[in-house]
Amino acid sequence: MMSYENNIFLKLLNYFLSSRVNPATVSAREYTLWDSFKLPEDISTTGKYIDWLFNYITLWNIFYFALVCIGLFGFSYLYHHKRNKVPLYTHGYKKQQLAVTFIIGLAVFLTIDIFIAAKSSYDLKAYFWNFPSENEETIKIEVAAQQWMWTFRHAGPDNEFNTVDDIVTNHDLYIPVNKKVEIRLTSKDVIHSFYLPNARTKIDAMPGRISRLWFEATKTGVFDIACAEMCGTNHYKMQAKLIIYEQKDYQEWLTQAHKIATYGLDPDHKEFNWGWPWRNEK
Amino acid sequence: MTYVHPIHPAPTTFLKKYVFSMDHKVIGKQFLWYGIFFLGVGGMMALLIRWTLAFPGEPFPVIGSILFPYTNGVVPPDTYSMLFTLHGTIMIFYAITPILIGAFGNYCIPLLIGARDMAFPLLNMLSFHIAVVSGVILLGSLFLPLGGAAGGWTSYPTLSTAVGSPGAGQTFWCLAIFVLGVSSTMGAINYITTVISFRAPGMGYFDMPLTIWGLWLTAILNAIFIPVLSAGVLLLIFDRVFGTTFFLAGAAATTGSGDPILFQHVFWIFGHPEVYILILPAWGIVSDILAFFSRKPAFGAKATALSMTAITVLSTLVYGHHMFTTQMSPLLTQTFMTLTMTISIPSAILFANWLGTIWKGSLRFDTPMLFSLGVVFVFGLGGLTGLYLGTATTDFYLHDTYFVVGHFHYTMAASVLLGGFGATYYWFPKMFGRMMNEFWGKVHFWGSMIGLNGIFGGMLLVGYAGMHRRLYNPFVYEFMQSLAPMNLFITWAALFMGAAQLPFLWNFIYSLYRGPIAEANPWKVGTLEWTVPSPPKTHNFDTIPVVKCGPHELGNPNLKNGRDFQYQTEELVKI
Repeated sequence: MMSYENNIFLKLLNYFLSSRVNPATVSAREYTLWDSFKLPEDISTTGKYIDWLFNYITLWNIFYFALVCIGLFGFSYLYHHKRNKVPLYTHGYKKQQLAVTFIIGLAVFLTIDIFIAAKSSYDLKAYFWNFPSENEETIKIEVAAQQWMWTFRHAGPDNEFNTVDDIVTNHDLYIPVNKKVEIRLTSKDVIHSFYLPNARTKIDAMPGRISRLWFEATKTGVFDIACAEMCGTNHYKMQAKLIIYEQKDYQEWLTQAHKIATYGLDPDHKEFNWGWPWRNEK
Repeated sequence: MTYVHPIHPAPTTFLKKYVFSMDHKVIGKQFLWYGIFFLGVGGMMALLIRWTLAFPGEPFPVIGSILFPYTNGVVPPDTYSMLFTLHGTIMIFYAITPILIGAFGNYCIPLLIGARDMAFPLLNMLSFHIAVVSGVILLGSLFLPLGGAAGGWTSYPTLSTAVGSPGAGQTFWCLAIFVLGVSSTMGAINYITTVISFRAPGMGYFDMPLTIWGLWLTAILNAIFIPVLSAGVLLLIFDRVFGTTFFLAGAAATTGSGDPILFQHVFWIFGHPEVYILILPAWGIVSDILAFFSRKPAFGAKATALSMTAITVLSTLVYGHHMFTTQMSPLLTQTFMTLTMTISIPSAILFANWLGTIWKGSLRFDTPMLFSLGVVFVFGLGGLTGLYLGTATTDFYLHDTYFVVGHFHYTMAASVLLGGFGATYYWFPKMFGRMMNEFWGKVHFWGSMIGLNGIFGGMLLVGYAGMHRRLYNPFVYEFMQSLAPMNLFITWAALFMGAAQLPFLWNFIYSLYRGPIAEANPWKVGTLEWTVPSPPKTHNFDTIPVVKCGPHELGNPNLKNGRDFQYQTEELVKI
């Protein structure tokens, strides 16, 4: 990696581009242009498959784009009308010429396209759509999106959703590390999209439908949850925090949260935070 | 069979000549002005958006306090939503479409195929006037009490139903799109009929310039898919105005429930072909210009035409890749992913043929040629970045991020805009009888090229870093605060790009009145429009030409008449 400190060009560039964002919204750290080249930290077990595929495509793309550039700039230099006065009279229908064209088309298809489609299909079946089975111990969470808030519902001690002992949190999603989390999403009003940049995934929350998603965190900490689908004026404010605890801390939080959740609860007022019964599907 | 229009006397009154003209050349120019006007409006909106992203909370300089007096010149969040909604709508439907399809489609099709006018001149005139009505509705919506549409150019329900957009702006938006759809369909039918029935005698489909191929395939896609969009927005109007629930679901659907995803299917069945509707004319124009300025025949012209046809067919079968995150059935997801991948075969053939065309040519770097080479460069970037988005798993991460924005701007904005500018410099002498300035043309090219690569390349980077779309202030998220310098860079590039259009505007207007008089064939090219004077007479051709060879006969070593090209009306000189 190029170091920023020693590069005069980047220093100059940064002089013109020093961050002028309102200090009220940005932490004290000064960022440089170089920070834009970094992906958010991957904290999931499945994110690496997406990163791998991304890098694979990038490598081939660099190769093919370099070919285009060599052709474009090389031919522009070599066959400038001052250097090459007499053009070659060919329609490109000779057998060799057609073969070259066809081979280029096929090469792109075989090296990138069909490979990434197959790899992506495999990843989908092996990981992203391979939801935890019924018997597996998973953290189940129901998410209701609305303008402009995320509501997260844990089942509570009775392990049943849509009962009075559910733990409902707004804006904060608490999960334990190293445990599969299955999420069911819906929306009350418009379409939202549940976006976890650190897990490299997102899924739409749609009114009238329940969509689902699973992931497993590999480290503790606080990370961003964003709404990725335009959902109105305050779309940009529709954020939540993903708080990942060690397993024993999570258990402690669960106990505490259940106490708070049932404190002063009116059992007849269920609609206040609506959930739905969890259905196992495969 | 070839149909021929009779020669009508040229109109004499001002109204008949410039306003209610049925002459395809005048209508083409009307669409050009219309498109350039909206390009300016949409471009200004883009600058307001960029300003907000780079300097959140700071007033927009000079005109900010006039536009937004209540916030002392700062763009308010709801206005920001309107800006990106209308920027998308205006650029796609009111700038790119009128310039590429409306202006060059109208101007070029009859002239390049040797016809005296479009098949249906009255329909042609109506198509422009209806487009004006639509533009007025759209701009008028900005002055409504709650402002214009603000649900994104895709207008997904339920945000675009009364649940999310109570103002009349969204209804006006739907109406404007519906009316514009009528205009586009009229134009499309006209183009298809003209190309099929009015080609000059002797001109087979493969004797048509590739420009015509691009415009013709575009017209076919338009005729099939614009009505689908019109149906979608009509149902949306019903939901908004008459209380139906086609697209309503969730807590808001009190009287029965529809499905918002249905709209996405309808929208993208149209929306994906729309991408090709915009790019196909540019591909055709670029394929021709590269050959003309390399002074050699277009390499594999038939393969280029057939690749464009293949892409036209495939474009109708891949729309589902816009909806991977809606969790379609696994079968659909994998099918759409695989079908999307097949598009890269014809695309790679196009690139091979473009490079084959300039290979061993005698390249002249006039402005149209520079713009065409620019298209090959930026479309390379745009096409290759599409691979990440057509793959379902990487799309889960990149969907609705700036990576998508960067990608489609490279394909739809950068490529099409450069292609459109190239076409403007190329046909300007024929349209207005004067030459544009070469020096300022080149300044315009390099300025635009640097500017747009800075903008859209920067967008790819911030998207890769996870920044998602349509955010008024992205820096409320911790993980995006590091992207502030890059957003600043993109905004400077956008301002630079905006400034780079000033030489074009000056050049265009100055050359209109003061440019050197153009000869009939300034570029030394053999297609039919260059056989008639610049600008052509109202009826184009006194006698309908008879076509005897292909459009790209340049550099034939056996030519004896002192020219290095031959007109399409001349018998092919054998090798």
